[in-house]
Amino acid sequence: MLIYRPDGGFAQPPAELAPSPTVLAGRRIGILDNRKPNADVLLGQLAERLADRTGATVVRTETKNAATACEDQVLGLLAEEVDVILTGTAD
Amino acid sequence: MTVDIFSEDLLQVDDDADLIDAMAEHGWGDGLPVVAPTTERVDAMLLGCPRTDPDEVVAVLPPRFGEATRRTLAVNAVMAGCRPEHLPVLVAAVRALARPEVNLRGVNATTHNVAPLVVVHGEVARSGGYNGGRGALGPGNRANATTGRALRLVLLHVAGAIPGDGDASTQGGPAKYGLCVAENADASPWPLYPSAIGMEAPSAVTVHCGEAPHNVHDMESDDPARILDKVASAMATTAQNNACISQGEFFVLLCPEHAATCAAAGWSRRDVSSYLFQRARLPAGELKRAFGLRAWASWMDQLADDELVPMTEHPDNVRTMVVGGPGKHSSVVPSWGMTRSVTLPIQEPEGRPC
Repeated sequence: MLIYRPDGGFAQPPAELAPSPTVLAGRRIGILDNRKPNADVLLGQLAERLADRTGATVVRTETKNAATACEDQVLGLLAEEVDVILTGTAD
Repeated sequence: MTVDIFSEDLLQVDDDADLIDAMAEHGWGDGLPVVAPTTERVDAMLLGCPRTDPDEVVAVLPPRFGEATRRTLAVNAVMAGCRPEHLPVLVAAVRALARPEVNLRGVNATTHNVAPLVVVHGEVARSGGYNGGRGALGPGNRANATTGRALRLVLLHVAGAIPGDGDASTQGGPAKYGLCVAENADASPWPLYPSAIGMEAPSAVTVHCGEAPHNVHDMESDDPARILDKVASAMATTAQNNACISQGEFFVLLCPEHAATCAAAGWSRRDVSSYLFQRARLPAGELKRAFGLRAWASWMDQLADDELVPMTEHPDNVRTMVVGGPGKHSSVVPSWGMTRSVTLPIQEPEGRPC
């Protein structure tokens, strides 16, 4: 028998990831802390190790809350100031 | 293989296939048996929304950014076991969930066990056969069960809120199978909930993204305060997201007998909400010890540890309505926190059905 698939189409996502740089040396790494408990620990140590190994510069910033989308103002600043962003959840 | 792609929209399924397993091959379904969404059944379901474009996108649902058309919603309604008269309720509920204040991306993707509570108000509750009376939050009524389930199937399939993928919920929760109920207008001493928030519509739907209902029983009280102090006790706990987020809403589903006791004492719905706002409080120090990370109104952070903090920053965030039948059990449904409830009319202002 023929049945409809239940998912339907999907819209274009509002943003797509930029291509990742192949070399981090000399790049600026942005840490986007979503303020989940331990996110700062995880991301901070990751950034420090990357900086030590590659010589990259690290810039730290944070969002208001992990439950809502990052503010446009924060994203705009990061877009101007860094080449790569590390973010993610924790706890 | 029991399912083959037949076209962009259609699948070829063996007639003797187990449809649960066949759907699961694609990551679809909620684990329960489904009704096969054949073209004939979907066409019949769409008769619930006559004079509308079945392929119009009525909402885009994150995190998948799935396009919810009436046809896609009808497919999921068929699978859930809905009747055509339930489709307008499902469409309105999906429209409501897509409003930005709901924060559906967060609702679907969080580790919390949040799920939408759908409340059906007015004429459609009666014509659609929805239960707002005895056992309304439980099983046994087709309209409640299938509409709630259809909404979950839409979130799984269209929104992509699949456990472990678009849904990161740590434990999940029974409300994620479906939670739909009617407001018990016949047994309520107060006007319909939508009119209380300024919406005059013969039929409406409210969505509130929260936890499963928590029971409050009071068998003996004949004054509102004694009943509502127990409700306030269920609200004033650190074991919920609203405790660390000051904008959170509480849906208070009063049983008819508790509501009647309040009304007999001259209390309006507003009086009930204001009393609960006043009584549901915890010491600031206890909340600060419990949550290092708080999304409070800034004035709350200035309170001394021994001062009481209201569980939500405004009485309007305590949303009261009547649900249930005989007996003396009410429920509290705390929100996920970073979300707001939305109420929409079933009939659009220009008279066009949803």
